[in-house]
Parts: sequence; structure tokens; C-alpha cells
Amino acid sequence: MVLDAKVPGGPLAQKWDRHRFELKLVSPANKRKFTIIVVGTGLAGGSAAATLAELGYNVKSFCIQDSPRRAHSIAAQGGINAAKNYPNDGDSIWRLFYDTIKGGDFRAREANVYRLAQVSNLIIDHCTAQGIPFAREYGGLLANRSFGGAQVSRTFYARGQTGQQLLLGAYSAMMRQVTAGKIRVFPRREMLDLVLVNGHAKGIITRNLITGELERHAADAVVLATGGYANVYFLSTNAMSSNVTATYRAYKRGAFFANPCFTQIHPTCIPVHGTYQSKLTLMSESLRNDGRVWVPKKPGDKRPPNEIPEEERDYYLERKYPSFGNLVPRDVASRNAKAQCDQGKGVGETGLAVYLDFADAIKRDGREVIERKYGNLFAMYQKITGEDPYQTPMKIYPAVHYTMGGLWVDYNLMSTIDGLFVIGEANFSDHGANRLGASALMQGLADGYFILPYTIGDYLAGYLGEKVSTDHSSFKEVEKEVREKTDRLLAIGGKRTVDDFHRQLGLIMWDYCGMSRTNEGLEKARRMVRELRAEFWENALVPGNDRDLNQSLERAGRVADFLEFAELMIVDALARQESCGGHFNEAYQTEDNEALRDDENFCHVAAWQYKGVDQEPELHKEPLVFENVKLTQRSYK
Amino acid sequence: MNWLTKTLGSSIGKKLMMAVTGLSFCGFLAVHLAGNLTIYGGKDAFNSYAEHLHSLGPLITAAEIVLLVFALVHVLTGLTLFYQNLAARPVRYRINRSAGGRTIGSGTMPYTGIFLLIFVVLHLMNFHFVDKTDTTIYNLVSAAFSRPLLVVFYIVAMVVAAIHVSHGLWSAFQTMGASHPKYTPFIKALSTVFAILVGIGFGFLPIYISIIA
Amino acid sequence: MTKTINLTLKVWRQKSPKDKGHFETYHARNISTDMSFLEMLDVINEQLTLDGREPIAFDHDCREGICGMCGAVVNGRPHGPEKETTLCQLHMRHFKDGDVLAIEPWRARAFKVVKDLVMDRTPLDEIMQAGGYISVNAGSAPDANTIPVPAETAELAMDAAQCIGCGACVAACPNASAMLFVGAKVSHLALLPQGRPEAARRAIRMIREMDNLGFGNCSNETECEAECPKGISITNIARLNREFFKASFFASEK
Repeated sequence: MVLDAKVPGGPLAQKWDRHRFELKLVSPANKRKFTIIVVGTGLAGGSAAATLAELGYNVKSFCIQDSPRRAHSIAAQGGINAAKNYPNDGDSIWRLFYDTIKGGDFRAREANVYRLAQVSNLIIDHCTAQGIPFAREYGGLLANRSFGGAQVSRTFYARGQTGQQLLLGAYSAMMRQVTAGKIRVFPRREMLDLVLVNGHAKGIITRNLITGELERHAADAVVLATGGYANVYFLSTNAMSSNVTATYRAYKRGAFFANPCFTQIHPTCIPVHGTYQSKLTLMSESLRNDGRVWVPKKPGDKRPPNEIPEEERDYYLERKYPSFGNLVPRDVASRNAKAQCDQGKGVGETGLAVYLDFADAIKRDGREVIERKYGNLFAMYQKITGEDPYQTPMKIYPAVHYTMGGLWVDYNLMSTIDGLFVIGEANFSDHGANRLGASALMQGLADGYFILPYTIGDYLAGYLGEKVSTDHSSFKEVEKEVREKTDRLLAIGGKRTVDDFHRQLGLIMWDYCGMSRTNEGLEKARRMVRELRAEFWENALVPGNDRDLNQSLERAGRVADFLEFAELMIVDALARQESCGGHFNEAYQTEDNEALRDDENFCHVAAWQYKGVDQEPELHKEPLVFENVKLTQRSYK
Repeated sequence: MNWLTKTLGSSIGKKLMMAVTGLSFCGFLAVHLAGNLTIYGGKDAFNSYAEHLHSLGPLITAAEIVLLVFALVHVLTGLTLFYQNLAARPVRYRINRSAGGRTIGSGTMPYTGIFLLIFVVLHLMNFHFVDKTDTTIYNLVSAAFSRPLLVVFYIVAMVVAAIHVSHGLWSAFQTMGASHPKYTPFIKALSTVFAILVGIGFGFLPIYISIIA
Repeated sequence: MTKTINLTLKVWRQKSPKDKGHFETYHARNISTDMSFLEMLDVINEQLTLDGREPIAFDHDCREGICGMCGAVVNGRPHGPEKETTLCQLHMRHFKDGDVLAIEPWRARAFKVVKDLVMDRTPLDEIMQAGGYISVNAGSAPDANTIPVPAETAELAMDAAQCIGCGACVAACPNASAMLFVGAKVSHLALLPQGRPEAARRAIRMIREMDNLGFGNCSNETECEAECPKGISITNIARLNREFFKASFFASEK
């Protein structure tokens, strides 16, 4: 099958305008005849639901939490990028586009990324009008900061809670449409499968998490905005209920999964401190602006940090990257921390941490200045670890944070299944192999507010007057399959809890398909995942029944999908015999241990087609054509 | 329902009525206390204050009617709020613990309020709705406070009033929306000072009278 | 180096909204003081599962103190005894070996218990639906810098906008009132020039909805402010009152 990305012709800067003109329209009177299902209420799903409703469509919105306001976009701290160039420092749509393409290690689609940069400005306008309390200068105009090593200040922010504020904006817009009767919210629902009628996505099967009931929902199109799959690692900065189920079930129904091995590891997280640990907490990487990263020179040095003299410390980032120092990009910082720990130089009880030391910054600027800049982060660190970072250096370690891979979509954000649209982190996205700081919020809102609402009309316009009912045999069949799967889970009756399996899967993935990969390791991981999956179906213990709120059963279904999906990630990592961005294969690195791309053979999107649980998925390649930028080697020396 | 009843019937509306009537009572207390202080000037001073007051005639009647209406509003609204607030939490906590927001005043408003209602009724029966044709108000007061039990009751009542007012005064400002980083600390301090003045000012009167009587 | 403690938990168990519910006692042994409160519950649940008993249902999601999904009353304190800390960010080092902890859900007529510690907080969404938004359609906004907003105003709005909608204010209020929640939202939007056109309508509608849903009345006990995990001030309640009076007495909105 040839993947048609449907990228419009013409010069890059005019593609989106031209495309919008060429898209078919649905008249206002006809919009109200269409119903659209939107699964997920994060920045992408929330903004899409609200905007589609504003346009006049009927929207059914589903979320796993008790309220749409709790989706995990809420935890994003840093900010949102836009090419406003308010600070007058030379930013432009073109520069934002170029930085994003380059940051993604040239594994994203040019046209999509350019469009993203174009609409970024509209997002800031809209969110400001919605009442997002962005930070401001004393003159009353919007403030910007530089973020994630960008050379211009293009990041808009609302303290350290930008994601929260933007999400509450989208949520409020949704609530307005609920009152207007255009959105029906279905909270505490988990999408368990996608229903296809004659090859078109026409509905979903959900589980009502309170009553346990399976419900059928029909619509004219289905939008998935169900986020990323970082929880395949068990420990990640994702929320506890973030999962791959919705996108994975869509994959099993025929949607291609693109670049699943592209995962982002964030360097400044609070380290793991025990086997009971359920989740990792990220601290803004702005900490690296003033903190110095170091480990003891001698492996296994267990002295407290203040007893280790200056000459016995290795400030390895400053040593290896004299010009960028502690500010190297996320993937570089993360890999180096792991390398130090692998050499036995890790600190703390587990040996899986490096120091981030503010002593010099405090000496230079005074405690007050540091407190003003990082007070809330220091307080958060102290709350979790019980240690005072003003006195003793912070301990940090990388953690999985974001997944660039996702369901393959064309320029219209439609997957390989007709009528199934995928937005936000759930699609394979515009971030290529690595996402830049403050770009996730931008992409989620761009998809939801300004792209999908146009492109979905083009699809719907062709199906006016067609009605789908939940009585259709497809709904019955899919519901039956879902029920069988649930029954199967409850019937295993084994001896190991679901979390126990999940934890083990996470360790396998972290060790072998994490921030640094080898072909042998990946092969080994694949065997281990298969074995673990087999054991799961024989020895998992899922208590309770399916007619009640049963959180163990919820988790069991998600872990069962992670156990299959993990293998797909490994397969993709094995197929991509190069290193790029978040995918680092040790066999492919430069002399300076940087990711070595193979543009000749791997300048493509790897889209996988499902062929059966223990079958090899089929690889389809969408070649990436760069007409406007020159592919270069990243260097941070 | 029209807009006014809707407004006053809302939760904030009810609180507004409590605040406005409550503040008026604070004003009344201040005037009442000022008047009562004439007792330290001796029998004649006190009696002449009473006479001057009564010479205002219809004005006094009007004031009394206003006070009565306000009292009715304050009591009935207060009782409604008390009931509604109890009903808002049908299942109580196993353990109740304050995070430090509550004060003695704020935590006991309905109870101090009900106690004060009883006190006011008794107080009016003692000194207002009595036949004053053959006697002066001073004689009435000194006769009453020669009974130690009544002195104790009045002192207790004044302490309760002080507690009620300590929350009521600043709370009225908060309810009416008067909150400002510059003035709120002053209003809170004023509440405490006013409460102490009410407690000591009124509370010492029975003691003083029982001593000189 | 890791310290462990033993605790006795008295946990509210309730099968369904109609069930009466009761406390059950559990022994939490060898709890690392580095655990969060929810991780301690995870450990109990793993044990219950292995013992063939039903695990305790409780709500949680982000586990970093921002989604507002978690929450239980621990010994009479919503989100436990630490100031400005959600339950997921409360760590066991704040408890002593041998402590007895009563763990119960938020208690309010407006919040039904769904199961064990899981509550239904949709009434907060319903209040939001009544007016917790600025009516602006995507695409219609002017340039973001068209309307200047004083930095101080933006900060005040942000102070209020930080609300995570956990409902701890309702749980802490002796009257189960939602005034801090509504005050925070109304304040956030009323402070900003973008929110002024709808301010009157918003204040009136949100208050009426709040009253309809069976929350109690504010009596300025300030327990909400003391328990709010985001430290939202009752100044926002005063501002809500002002907005409500302005709207009720001086706007044409009925």
C-alpha cells in the first residue's frame, strides 16, 4: 500500500491556505446533521470538541477521568511556543518551522511542521481571548522566555502551569458548548474498541467505569486524542491512566502505527527511590540554566556530596560539550546521565542519579535570586525527597516523558482508516524523532482549534445523509469481542497482580528499548516481552467482576495492550538501523557519541500495519521529502 | 420570583442580609454602649440620658421597628442558613479537625446567636417591657443587678456577644465584598477591638452597678 | 537508610452510592517513609488483591498535584495534614510509627460517594457549565497584544486560576460550601478585561447553579483557604460577592 500523505502542492508557505480553499465545506445547516466522537479531553481533544461544537457539529466527548479538566495535558509546566516575534529578536514562522524540523532530527513532514508554525500565532490570540492568564510585562503586554535551548524567546507561559491554564481554557470552551447543547460529555468512560462500518470508522465501544456496562456509540466520524504511550515503561511522567489502548485497538482495526520507537526521555526528573514507586515527577529543564551536573570521578564513591572535594568531581557535560555545557538538548543530557551511572558513578541509594548542583549559582547570585527563579521547583523537590536543594545538590535522573510516535495520519490528520482522525500526542505528529520544549502544547492546540475543524469537513461532506445506528451488526460483533476479552481477563485467576506484570514490562523496555538501544538488547527484549505476555495470560490475577467500578480490571486491559504494543516498539526500533533524536542505537553514533542518522536509507516514516498478535507487522514507508531545508548533523560542541 | 427575591434568596443574598443587619446591630451596640456609659456619671446622668432618648418620640418608635425587623431578618435568615448548612453534609466526618481557619467566633456563630436571642428577649423583658411609671430606669437597673445570678448571666451574655461580634464584624465586610490587602488587616483588628470593647464595656456595667448598689 | 513505619488504617468502604458504608481496619506494615500516601494505598491494594479481597477504590491520576483527581480526608484533614499539598504529594515521612489514620471521602450532599473513596464531583463541572468561560469562538480573536493587561492583574488572575478543582474546599468547609471554587473561577475571569463583557451574567448564573446543587452557604470560616492545596485566598470569595452584587443590583441581567 502506498501511503498518500495528501500534502498539497505549491510553495511551502502557501500550502495550507491553498488546501483550505480546496477542502470541501459542510454548510452550517448540514453541520448539525453530523455527530462526531472525540475520545480524550486533553489539549487536542478538548480544543477539538469545543471548536467542532462551535462550528455546529454535534460532539460526543469521552474521557477516562471524572471530568474533562483532568486530562494529563494539565501537567505541562514550561510553556507554549509561537512565532509572534514580540521580543523583536528575529523570530519568524520560518524560524519556528526550521527549529522544529531540525530539533526533530529531520524525521517530520515539512508541510505539517510549517503549518504548525503558521497557526501557532492564532493559538496565542485565541487563548488570550479565552482568558488564559499568560505572564505579562509591566507595560501590560505578553512576556516571553527562551526555553529548551532555543536561541529566540518565543515561549509564552503562565507561571509553571502553562499546560493547566491552556487545558482549563479548552475545558471552559467545552463547558460552554455543553450548555449550548452541542457537546455531550461522557466522563469515566474508557474506549475499548473502534467500530468500522464498511471500512469507515463509525463508532466506538466504551466501558462505563462506574457501572462496568459496555456502551455503543455511533457517529459520522471518530477523533482519537488519547495521548501517548509512555506508560509502557511503567514508570514515566505520564498520568496513571495514560495508556495506549485506544490507539492500539485502532491499530488492530487497521490504522497504521507510525514510528513507535520514537520516545523522549527528559533529563531532569526526580530519581526513582524504591520498588513501590508508581510514577516519576518531572522538573522543568530550566533548572539546567543555573545548575551544574556532576558525578564523583571515582566509581562507587558513597561519600555525601559536600565531602567530595572539587577535584574529585566530574562535571561531565561541561567537560564534553564546552560550548553548550549543561544546556545540551534533552536526549544528549539524558544519554550522558545514563552512561555515567552505567560506569558505576551514579549517586544516591540506588546509584541511578546524578547531581544537579546549585551551590555555585547561589554563591554567585545569592539565594534570593535562585529562590525567585526556581523556588516552586525547589519546594516540589523538597516535598518529594525530603531534602533541601539549597543545602545539598539535587539528585536527578532521566525519565520517559513524551512519545513522538503514534497513529499515522495524512495532512488532514486522518489515519489509514477512513473517518478516523488522530490528533495531539496520539498521532505520529510533527515532532519527528525528538520534540522541542514547549512544542507539545502548540501541536495539541493547533490540531484541535485550527486544523482538524477544517479538514474533518472535507471527509464528512461526502457522506451527507448517511446514518449509522448502533444496531448495525458491526457494533454487535465488536461489543462481543470486547466482552470476550474482559471475560478472559477475569477468568485467568493467576497469582501475580497486574501491576507486577506492568512493572516488569517497564523494566524490560527501560533497559533495552530506552534511551540507548542495541540490536542484541532489542532482540532479547522482544523474547522477554513475548514470554511475559504469555505468562500474563496464564498467571495474572484480576479480582472483582465487570459489573462494577473495578480499577484492577481497567488496568489489566491496559497492561494487556501494552504487552502487545511493546513488541511493536521493539520491532520498529530494530527496523530503524540508524540513530536519530529519541531513538539511539549504539551501533550508529559519531565519534562524539552523537546520534548518527542514515538519511539515505531511513529518511522515512515507518508505518506499521497489524497482521495478528504473534505475527510480524507489515512495514509501510512514507518517504520524507525535504524541499526547503538542508539535512544537517546536529552538533552541540 | 422577581430579581430582588432571587438575589436575596440566593446563598450570597442571605449572607448579605446577615451582614447588613449584623452591621446595623454593631452600630446599635456602639450607640447603646455609649449611652450606657452615662451610668458612670451617676444616677442623674443616666436617667437624663434615658429621658432625652424617650423625648425623641416617634423617632424612637421608628428605630425600634427597624431594629425589630432587622432582628427578625437576622434570626430567621440565620436559622435558615444554620439548617441548610447542616443539611449540606448529611454524613459527618469520623474525625473533625481544623486546618487553622476556624476561630472560636466563626465556629460557634449559630450557637452564640441563639444564646443571644434568648438573652435579648430576657433583657427586653427586664428593662424594656416593664412598667416604668413609678420608677426610674436607674432604679430598675440597680434593683436587677443586686441579684448575683443575673449579674453572672449578663456577664456571660456579654462574653458571648463579644465572641459573636468578633467574627461577625469582619465577616460582614468580607460578605459585602470589602476585601483589600491594605484595609482588611485593619478591619480584622477593628473586629477584635470592638469585640473586646463590647465584652468589657457592657460586661463591667453589671459588676459596677452591683458594687455601688 | 530508608525508614519504615507501621500504621493502622481505618478506611471508609462503601460498595455503591446506595450502600450505607462503614470503616474497615487495615494494617500497613513496613511502609517506607519515602512513599507517597497513594503509593502506600497501592501497597495495601496489592496485598488485598493477593489475599483475594477487594482492593480499595480511590481516584488518582497525575500523581504530581495538578490534575485534582485524588483526595481523601485523613484524620479530619482533606489531603492530609500538610499545607498546600495534595494527597498524592503527601509523603509518609510526615507520619509516625504506630499512627492510626482515619481515611474517608469528601463528605458533602453535592458529592455522592461512588465507591469507597471515589466521589462524584460532576457538580463542579455543572457550575462551570453555568458560566465559567469566556464566550469566544476559535478564530475570532484579535491579536493577543491588542488589550494590555497590567502585570499585577494577570498575576492576581493567575492566583485564582490555579484552582485544580479537587473539591478540598468543599470538603474542608464546615458547611460544605463551594464558594472558594466559584470565587476562584469568577475572580480569574472578572479580573481580566477579556472576561468583563460577560461578568454579570457569569456571576449570577454560577451562583444560582451552585445553590441549586445543594452546596452549603459560606460563613467565612476560612477553612477552605487553609486547606486549599493551591493556597487560593478567600479574597476571591469577597470579589465573587462584589461581582454578584454588582450584577444583581446594577446590571440588567435578571
